[in-house]
Amino acid sequence: MNCKGKPELRQRLAAEYALGTLRGRARERLKRWLRDDAELAREVAQWEARLAPMAGVVAPVTPPARLWHAVDRRTASPAKKPRSIWKALGLVASGAAAALLVVALFFRPQPAGVPASYIAVLSDPKTSQPVLVATAERGETVLRLNTLDPAIHVAGRSLELWALPRDGAPRSLGVVANEERFRVQLAAAADQALGDVPALALSLEPPGGSPTGQPTGPVLYTGPCVKYW
Amino acid sequence: MGDRGAFRALYEASAAKLFGVALRILRREDWAEEVLQECYVSVWRHAPEYRASRAAPMTWMTSIVRNRCLDWLRRPNPEPLADDTLEKIEDQNPGPLAELERARDSAALARCLRGLDAKQRQAIALAFFDGLSHAELAAHLREPLGTVKTWVRRGLARLRSCLELQG
Repeated sequence: MNCKGKPELRQRLAAEYALGTLRGRARERLKRWLRDDAELAREVAQWEARLAPMAGVVAPVTPPARLWHAVDRRTASPAKKPRSIWKALGLVASGAAAALLVVALFFRPQPAGVPASYIAVLSDPKTSQPVLVATAERGETVLRLNTLDPAIHVAGRSLELWALPRDGAPRSLGVVANEERFRVQLAAAADQALGDVPALALSLEPPGGSPTGQPTGPVLYTGPCVKYW
Repeated sequence: MGDRGAFRALYEASAAKLFGVALRILRREDWAEEVLQECYVSVWRHAPEYRASRAAPMTWMTSIVRNRCLDWLRRPNPEPLADDTLEKIEDQNPGPLAELERARDSAALARCLRGLDAKQRQAIALAFFDGLSHAELAAHLREPLGTVKTWVRRGLARLRSCLELQG
């Protein structure tokens, strides 16, 4: 017996499983169905994504150091080594991304211990060294930039940030404002501006930005953009 | 940086938030530690099966932790919700939903939660944050089981249509 052909029941079970109110035998039964019902698994995943932002407001509590030691001990065995956790988590778009989380952590975009929703790490293509970390929260219209290179600005020129969509031409995200902190004012919330953008690029442009709507100057840095949360 | 370094970085980025989530549901540090240990071992082993298209990494890991916590609560002799914990839940001011409304990341969800009846909202929040079952919700809210189940069911259905409208 299963719930196929009963869309309303499936919806309700998926929602209550994700919320956590489905318990006992009903929960175990749904877990069994999930193993070979991809459609149901997708509905559960959608519900988990809908509710997940709620977890963002739970106060972080630093666990004791022995937790990491125990995890480290249990995962260090080479026998169970996964392919690559980077690849698996979709965080590798280029070799330069290997430093992504470390660099992002170095900058600690949020004090609460959770990385920002969107993180992009731009690197110098010649040296593969990360130079710039861009972070934004989902609903925000500001992209914060942290640079490892204080000499990144060139007098009399503007730096312009570009979204590199999967298909099609680069799309300008805006000119980098050189104020106390580097930032780019987005035309829309980060979810719209970066939602389907696998990579960003930074180019050197005439003052005020490219006059053509496409990069005209040299592209200084490029790198992957990841939706983390 | 190899896989080990990446895994360590992932741990550092997420452990405090996930420990907070587990602690809130399990209410005991030793249990939360044990569950989180299992979760990270599971993340390490199952990372190759993770599909970025399905969920953002933090959503994926949060779901693993919440599900493990709920499985843990099914074990015999779970700690009862202590009376002072009940008081804390009731007294929370401004409470988790107000925090959610302030959080930049979750404005759409907050708007939709705000659109629910207060009872529906409270039941969903207690279930999500504190891991209460229908029976525990009924006891805590001092309402019949059937009433509480209806709040949760209707609340979730309204939440879904509201979030779909918000795009």
